Amino acid sequence: MTTVLEVNDLQVRYPHAHPVAARLAGNRYPWIDVVRGVSLQIARGETLAVVGESGSGKTTLAQALMGLVPSAGGEVRIEGSAVPRDRRNRLMPDRRRVAMMFQDPIGSLSPRMTVREALAEPFQIHRPGRIDANAEAKRLLALVGLGAEFAERYPHQLSGGQARRIGVARALALEPALLIADEPTAGLDVSIQGDVLNLLTGLQQRLGLSILVITHNLNIVRHVADSMAIMYLGRFVEQGASGELFRNPRHPYTRALFSANPSHDPRKVAERMRLTGEVPSLMRRPAGCEFHTRCPLVADDCRVIVPVQTEQAPGHRYACLHPLATSAPRLP
Amino acid sequence: MIALLRPHGLLRESLRKLRGNPLGFGGLVIVIVIGVLTVFAPLFATHAPNEVDVYARLQPPSGEHWLGTDQLGRDLYSRVLHGGRIAMTVSLVAISLSMALGVALGMLAGFGPRWLDRLLVIGFDTVRSFPTVMFALAVVALIGPSLNTVIGIVIITSVPAYARVVRTQTLALRERDFILAERAMGASTWRILRHHVMPNIAAPLFILASMDIPAVVGLEAGLSFLGLGVRPPTASWGSILSDGYAYIRNSPWPLIAGGIPLVLVTLGFTFFGEALRDIFDPRLRRKT
Amino acid sequence: MSEVVLAVEHLSVGYRTARGTLQALRDVSLEVRSGEIVGLVGESGCGKSTLISSVIRLLAPNTEISAGAVRFRGVDLLTLSEERMRALRGAELAMVFQDPMTSLNPVLSIGRQMADIQFRLPGGTREKRARSLDMLQRVGIADASQRLGHYPHQLSGGMRQRAAIAMALMMKPALLIADEPTTALDATLEVQIIEQLKALQAEIGNAILFISHHLGVIAELCDRVVVMYAGEVVESGPVRQVFDAPRHPYTRMLLACDPASIDERARTLPIIPGILPDLVDLPGGCVFCERCDRAESICITQRPRLEGGADGRAAACHFAGAPR
Repeated sequence: MTTVLEVNDLQVRYPHAHPVAARLAGNRYPWIDVVRGVSLQIARGETLAVVGESGSGKTTLAQALMGLVPSAGGEVRIEGSAVPRDRRNRLMPDRRRVAMMFQDPIGSLSPRMTVREALAEPFQIHRPGRIDANAEAKRLLALVGLGAEFAERYPHQLSGGQARRIGVARALALEPALLIADEPTAGLDVSIQGDVLNLLTGLQQRLGLSILVITHNLNIVRHVADSMAIMYLGRFVEQGASGELFRNPRHPYTRALFSANPSHDPRKVAERMRLTGEVPSLMRRPAGCEFHTRCPLVADDCRVIVPVQTEQAPGHRYACLHPLATSAPRLP
Repeated sequence: MIALLRPHGLLRESLRKLRGNPLGFGGLVIVIVIGVLTVFAPLFATHAPNEVDVYARLQPPSGEHWLGTDQLGRDLYSRVLHGGRIAMTVSLVAISLSMALGVALGMLAGFGPRWLDRLLVIGFDTVRSFPTVMFALAVVALIGPSLNTVIGIVIITSVPAYARVVRTQTLALRERDFILAERAMGASTWRILRHHVMPNIAAPLFILASMDIPAVVGLEAGLSFLGLGVRPPTASWGSILSDGYAYIRNSPWPLIAGGIPLVLVTLGFTFFGEALRDIFDPRLRRKT
Repeated sequence: MSEVVLAVEHLSVGYRTARGTLQALRDVSLEVRSGEIVGLVGESGCGKSTLISSVIRLLAPNTEISAGAVRFRGVDLLTLSEERMRALRGAELAMVFQDPMTSLNPVLSIGRQMADIQFRLPGGTREKRARSLDMLQRVGIADASQRLGHYPHQLSGGMRQRAAIAMALMMKPALLIADEPTTALDATLEVQIIEQLKALQAEIGNAILFISHHLGVIAELCDRVVVMYAGEVVESGPVRQVFDAPRHPYTRMLLACDPASIDERARTLPIIPGILPDLVDLPGGCVFCERCDRAESICITQRPRLEGGADGRAAACHFAGAPR
């Protein structure tokens, strides 16, 4: 099985706005860790979902992989070859092998360009002059199930769902090996969410595409992701095959996320793992296990000791001092 | 500039919207009339603007002299038309150059490194802190009055304003998702500025330019009024006014002749500029 | 039977546009009684925003109310003067919006805003502060006394929304309208807030009209549900019954699309194919027939009426309740 993407210990830091104040407040370093040592692997034709809530750093992770923000450390390999960094420490992946789909489908299209021009952009950037814009636009539109008449439209004339498809089409223009999808269903009505997801899984099967999905919506992860990683405050607290995680979550946060589905079933409500408080600020990371401030199962050692990552089954890793028992009741 | 002017059906829709805005439409009409009259001034003039006729001094309007004559018997109507040429020439040349320079500097400030931005902003603010008229006086005292001097003064004092607007727009656009998407695709900074930033800053720029024309025309007229602009006997609205001011007891017509076009230009371009702003703003803030 | 706090009766609202009148709401009726939580479910274009704007009377200039009434405790809000309407808003009719950042005044502290809202109540600064403090604690904000001095931007999204709820409920309004209040929040926060809202409502006894497109939230929070599609009410009834045995095809198909309800991994997720009808130029017949999976010829020609039974359920379908 070829590995399309391999990430080892990636870190992203933002400099503190007020380094002196930060020092006085007890921070050792004048920066904020947004992504703190993330490692993952995606094989060809596979989908990995990175799941997290706000402040988890998941979008920053995607942006760092695309070289949109600088990354402080870690190694990234795409199809085996290491990705270099530029002078400003931004990764420089080969944009013909990795492409990204953005969260705001209409906002990620240039407002004064027609769809045809937008679809021609990747070609203009990487292989200037030698393309037939009309033909490529038609081909790409057909790939995502849209008629050729969409080529003449402007972004403000598209619906959310249509704009999303065009985002997919544009990302696939140069036939990349990996597609990064940032919140592919955000803002879409439930009745058409399936559309985008079906499109992605269909394309995956046809083209052997690998997909990295960034989302906070656990409900869709079950259906699209082969493996998943749960992110909290810039770290993966648990990762592994989706089926395995759904059956046997070991980290309390994973279980809390799974059970954070409002439901009319009073049994599910009763079994819900409730978290206390809110996500701590990245500027004041809790000591010990960073999740301890919200964990309903917190014990004394959690406040002091930083848990190391253990590998429970091949590929299933988590970091918790008192993980949930594997015989936990089966959750939806 | 071509990127800025791509209409995309924007032109057609703007014209349609303009019809619903009577003041704006009136402004556009005035702008067009002034434009035509000044470009084709020699065709529309009835006399040579500097033709002296001492027997017809300070006459009120008549069939021969539509707006009357000034203290040297020169036909006011023809002088006003030629004065319009000066005013429009200064405006268009100065504003075009200011825009070009402003766009370049503004995009540099908005898209470039932080230190460059800070440096440029200090530069803009310094220039803008000079009182315009005093600055003009100083320059004229050094170089001497002429049309080119006036244009130069206008450019130097206008560039910071345009640059600031461009800088703000560029800074705002910089974080927009579609710019991020272009960077994610590997587009160079130059490509982004040319194809994605420029077309999106065109609207506010043209609105600013349109509202700026009355100010520039006023500045030129003011300088000419003080004798610091174009030199006599060249007709300029300002010099017509200053002459009229001196002879106000004899005839009000030179003053009226010099004043009316200033008022019309100001009203016309201001209404037009405001209509442009109304047309573009709701488009920019589109809600479904 | 408790009092009917809000009764929307056959409301029809349109917007004048260049192409014609966009019929955003057509013959919409619903009821909210005191002490109950009614959920309004609908997707984009269903008319929920128009409905709410009509209730609180903050309508766009090109709006045209062609028929119907909105009765708040018996009084028709549509005919009320602006002053009397203003007297109601905030005191008896409160609202919580989706984005608390835009509904809270960014330049006033939370405490100041909460004190302002109490301008109709007797008492001095100390009493008002005490009430504000009490309310903040009841919505689960820690360090409430400190938070009173904070500005909205100093609070996280979840806390802002809680503060907004506190402000809305402080005056013990008869009706609280919540427009997608948890949509922008993380799931773990969302469950906290709806649990809090439920507890508060049980204490205060006010009525809540809760708008959301998140079916799970409606299922957990609400007593009754009203389902809207393209400007019409297509189904209503007690939430458990409607969700367990939907009578309108739209409700059924919508529930089927909810990925949370699909337990096993699905290769292809269900969707409702098609798009909304053109609200300016509506075809006759059932508004949902183009996308319905069991439309028949009668659906194209005859518009179904919202027919209710004694069980408190109603559905606008020619085949409501009939087996597929």
